[in-house]
Amino acid sequence: MTRYDVIVVGAGPAGLSAAAEAAAAGARVAVFDENAKPGGQLFKQIHKFFGAKEHKAKIRGVNIGAELLAEAEGLGVTVFLNAPVMGLYKDREVLVRHADAVRRYKGDAVVVATGASENMLTFPGWTLPGVTGAGAAQTMMNINRVKPGHRVLMLGSGNVGLVVGFQLLQAGCELAAVVDAAPRVGGYGVHAAKLARTGVPFYLSHTVVRAEGTDRVTGVVVGQVDDTWNVIPGTEKRFDVDTICIAVGLSSSTQLLKMAGCALRDDGAGWLPVCADDGETSMARVYAAGDVSGIEEASSAMIEGRIAGAAAVRKLGFVTEEALAVRMAELESALESLRGGMFAPGRRGKIPDKTDEGLPISASLLSRGYLDDAEVDQYPGVKKTAGIRPVIECTQNIPCNPCRDACPKGCIKVEGGIVSLPVYDEKAGCAGCGLCVAACSGQSIFLVDDDTGGGAAEVTIPYEFLPLPGEGERGVALSRSGAALCPAEVVGVKQSPAYDKTALVTFRVPQEFAMKARFWRKEAVV
Amino acid sequence: MRLTNHPILGEAEARREVTFTFDGRAMTGFEGEPVAAALKAAGVVVHRYTKKNRSPRGVFCAIGRCTDCVMTVNGRPNVRTCVTPLEDGMAVATQYGAGEEAK
Ligand SMILES: Cc1cc2nc3c(=O)[nH]c(=O)nc-3n(C[C@H](O)[C@H](O)[C@H](O)COP(=O)(O)OP(=O)(O)OC[C@H]3O[C@@H](n4cnc5c(N)ncnc54)[C@H](O)[C@@H]3O)c2cc1C
Ligand code: SF4
Ligand code: SF4
Ligand code: FES
Repeated sequence: MTRYDVIVVGAGPAGLSAAAEAAAAGARVAVFDENAKPGGQLFKQIHKFFGAKEHKAKIRGVNIGAELLAEAEGLGVTVFLNAPVMGLYKDREVLVRHADAVRRYKGDAVVVATGASENMLTFPGWTLPGVTGAGAAQTMMNINRVKPGHRVLMLGSGNVGLVVGFQLLQAGCELAAVVDAAPRVGGYGVHAAKLARTGVPFYLSHTVVRAEGTDRVTGVVVGQVDDTWNVIPGTEKRFDVDTICIAVGLSSSTQLLKMAGCALRDDGAGWLPVCADDGETSMARVYAAGDVSGIEEASSAMIEGRIAGAAAVRKLGFVTEEALAVRMAELESALESLRGGMFAPGRRGKIPDKTDEGLPISASLLSRGYLDDAEVDQYPGVKKTAGIRPVIECTQNIPCNPCRDACPKGCIKVEGGIVSLPVYDEKAGCAGCGLCVAACSGQSIFLVDDDTGGGAAEVTIPYEFLPLPGEGERGVALSRSGAALCPAEVVGVKQSPAYDKTALVTFRVPQEFAMKARFWRKEAVV
Repeated sequence: MRLTNHPILGEAEARREVTFTFDGRAMTGFEGEPVAAALKAAGVVVHRYTKKNRSPRGVFCAIGRCTDCVMTVNGRPNVRTCVTPLEDGMAVATQYGAGEEAK
């Protein structure tokens, strides 16, 4: 039996962070993952993350994963892949199935970071080929680089459904609709708005009636639900799709902890391990970190991993109590700042009707996925000034501030905590550099110049699709809801390493559309 | 169905093309990619039929958890094709039931 100071189960963001933290203190660390590739969910996340600088905001998940893996390996962590951990026993023995044999290891401390698995939803036809988990669609397109389908219906409007929906568009799939049984969009408004402006309709208070097809999905019927979740007759709508993507939530993968005899508690949505603040479970020196201890985000999973790693090496005597206290204070404040805002885990899905600033929360954004044109002006990121200006359509309190750090002129302020709404400081003098547009994780910043002469205005949007339009190309400007507004000529396309693959497309529209046009599509004008 | 170019991930890196068979039909895929990815790229979505109701199954989780995607590979039934790397000359076949009817 091989012994390690710290054994980590799961090489996702939580596990790798725990391993790096422990190894940095001098511990001998092994990580086991059942997957052929390390990184857990991270390598499928090709979007820019929310949070602040210390949470690696603005960096795409896939790049965070690569960085983390390099850090852990650089510190001498051994990562075993294709190595499912089958059992965790008393005295922290673990049983691992390798390709050639089953082996036993012993850890002086064990960190369980097994993540979560996707919840399923059953409906007539749910077993047909073409019905897949959202994670499976991500794996297919972002890892295997094969389109999951041609035309897809997304079930679930939480962040996973919204993000995967956008990734489907980036992969060149059509997204027929986003459907959710809840009356409100579950994820961030900025994620929903990205989809809505491309023309994807949202059907809230709707559920799947059935998937159609004999050997594979050929269509789907959805219907509106009443207060008791029953489909209201006559509200059925059919979509021609070959794929139905399910994103109805995640459940913590607590099997290993349960089997080991760790105390679990029912948190209403599922079973979670009973943990101390540092992640220690009811078993001494067995820690839980990341999604396994409660579904959150990769950003929080990484900090929880570090907290568990730090606590473990303190228990094993690698660091002093004083050093631990300093580190913990740092990590805990980083975690605290991520857990604020209107979608905070503590709020349990209760949506307030006002922002922390006392502004109304857009009902349109929650029920249709986009801001009503008339609502936009009331937010602090939107101020009418002459010349080019940023228009920041970020209207919910979410833990995020890369826009602030991006602006070299100090035009954007996020003050009093990272969940505050970004404010456009009109006195700072926007130079039109576009860095804020590219940095915004929610793609909710636009540049507008209301008067470029001859009755025209110019609008700059973030653009992450192929093919990129060319200068002089004619198309149509789309509204926040994705409706065609007017002809629009592309007058600028900017790319830069500083933009990290987000292109900036500028198009010209009649002045009256300056505050309405938010997307551009190549299309003959009708 | 292949994503040769992608706005964020860029051009797909060059991989070695190999040939394999699906129910006897010759197909090509990339060495080392999951068998399920090669099949998907070729438009194959039905991986097996269940024993009880003869109902079709395809890729569902794509990470080796659900066993929906199992097929008969090189004569061996119940192979999870979403986590099995494609090899040159592999014989992949639709699985019926528990694979007892595999040829
Ligand atoms: C579509 C989508 C979008 C997201 N967007 C964001 C975002 O913008 N920002 C953000 O911060 N977060 C985001 N997240 C969430 C984030 O990806 C997860 O919260 C995070 O990955 C959790 O990290 P983890 O390490 O706990 O678990 P995981 O990343 O799930 O890793 C767990 C690892 O454990 C391994 N494992 C499990 N059981 C065993 C076992 N018995 N033996 C061996 N190995 C095992 C698994 O193979 C896996 O590699 C998103 C998630 C999804 C699905
Ligand atoms: S365009 Fe440049 S100068 Fe203007 S607000 Fe954005 S980052 Fe600041
Ligand atoms: S505007 Fe700022 S706070 Fe809002 S999503 Fe964009 S980067 Fe984050
Ligand atoms: S698709 Fe679930 S195991 Fe392969």
